[in-house]
Amino acid sequence: MSEERRRAVITGVRAALTGAAAGYLLLRSGSGYAWLLRPPGAVEEQEFLRKCIRCGRCAQSCLYRAVDMGRLDAGIALGTPVIRARKNPCRLCADLPCVKACPSGALDPQLQDAVKTRIGTAVLVERQECLSLKGLRCEVCYRTCPLLDKAITIENYLNARTGRHAIFEPVVHKEHCTGCGICEQACVLDRPAIVVGPLQPPSESLYEG
Amino acid sequence: MKVNHWTLARRVVQLTVIGLLLTPCLGWGLFQGNLQSASLLGLKLSDPLAALQVLLLTGTVALPLLGGALLVLGGYGLLGGKTFCGWVCPLGLVTDVFEYLPSTRQLRIWPLRGKMIALLVVLLLSLTLKIPAFETISPIGIVSRALSFGPASDLLLVAAILLVEVLLVRRFWCRSLCPLGGFYSLAGRVSPLRIGYRAEACTHCDRCRRSCFVFEVLDAPLVEGTSHVVSGECTRCGACLDACPTGALNMRFQHPLK
Repeated sequence: MSEERRRAVITGVRAALTGAAAGYLLLRSGSGYAWLLRPPGAVEEQEFLRKCIRCGRCAQSCLYRAVDMGRLDAGIALGTPVIRARKNPCRLCADLPCVKACPSGALDPQLQDAVKTRIGTAVLVERQECLSLKGLRCEVCYRTCPLLDKAITIENYLNARTGRHAIFEPVVHKEHCTGCGICEQACVLDRPAIVVGPLQPPSESLYEG
Repeated sequence: MKVNHWTLARRVVQLTVIGLLLTPCLGWGLFQGNLQSASLLGLKLSDPLAALQVLLLTGTVALPLLGGALLVLGGYGLLGGKTFCGWVCPLGLVTDVFEYLPSTRQLRIWPLRGKMIALLVVLLLSLTLKIPAFETISPIGIVSRALSFGPASDLLLVAAILLVEVLLVRRFWCRSLCPLGGFYSLAGRVSPLRIGYRAEACTHCDRCRRSCFVFEVLDAPLVEGTSHVVSGECTRCGACLDACPTGALNMRFQHPLK
């Protein structure tokens, strides 16, 4: 190999490695997200990251502009579609335009029925803050749920604190909850007591060792 | 006054692409998506390199993606491969415009084949990181997203590229690092659309080489005497046609292997 050719190859390798290293650092720096709420039909997260080609068509097809694109702070999810439920939740459009727009199958076209969406599940995380659990008549999450009396029901029982009133507790039913996040947006507290979390909670293996 | 017809036409096409990328925020149905995958008047188009990465990662490609990718690959194969870089890519337009700074012409250059190594690295990274690596950090995607969803932090990557191109290495991204450019240069090698060369009209004034940012491709006709530009690296941008005072260069279709 001639000297000139050898030098050219070395420069090329150096350039490619610099680019790869820069890209890797860029993506590593921000991958601190515990989990991301994806648009309806999203396949399992690892598979989703393999299939999504970051074209943004699901976001552009969303009439409510509820699908946002991951930016630099999303780390390895840069350029992938994300729903920030507290700001702008999924409205479960019956015709699922986002799923229809996806060319790559990252949003599964098998999903035809919006109420069969399973992008997460609502969880009453801040139980001590929930107004209903304090004995007040709030139930806003229950009232706004598009699957009223299915995904969230109200269970009432005696308020043990007063001994004479009732507690009207909102209870989430995972088997019906789509994870749309409308309840999370509607919660009247500054920091919502009900939020959408992953379908499969982090496994116990996290605590091993 | 001399009109640079090819450059003018090219700017019109490049600005049309930018316009299309902007239309989704206006709520028009004309165009949706970006250069990774789009729907133009109902016609499905996809980036073949993106489809290739998904194929490597999952072993399959969804039909809409595959169809769009084959259509685009066929189109660019017919029209010169790297015509994407010269005529369509929004990042290409930006770096092109920055080259009007006279100082950038004095900078050093990196060899063209860096792109092929970058392409290989991207495919290997896709397999190790389990994501379509180029689609994730693609500055082309970042520029498109800034146009359709508003500017954001990820534009820093594009700013870094521009900074290097203005201060350190001339057109290093498009010349030596863009894996998509490397991919399309493979299609450009077999494309029938060529810059033709008539030796009898050439005065060897060298203006074509000075107008071209991948001037190495002009060595084949000018030095070795071939009847056309052979290299797949030619973006068919037409700058050399505008620069040539004697009409020794032309754009033409011909049998790709001749």
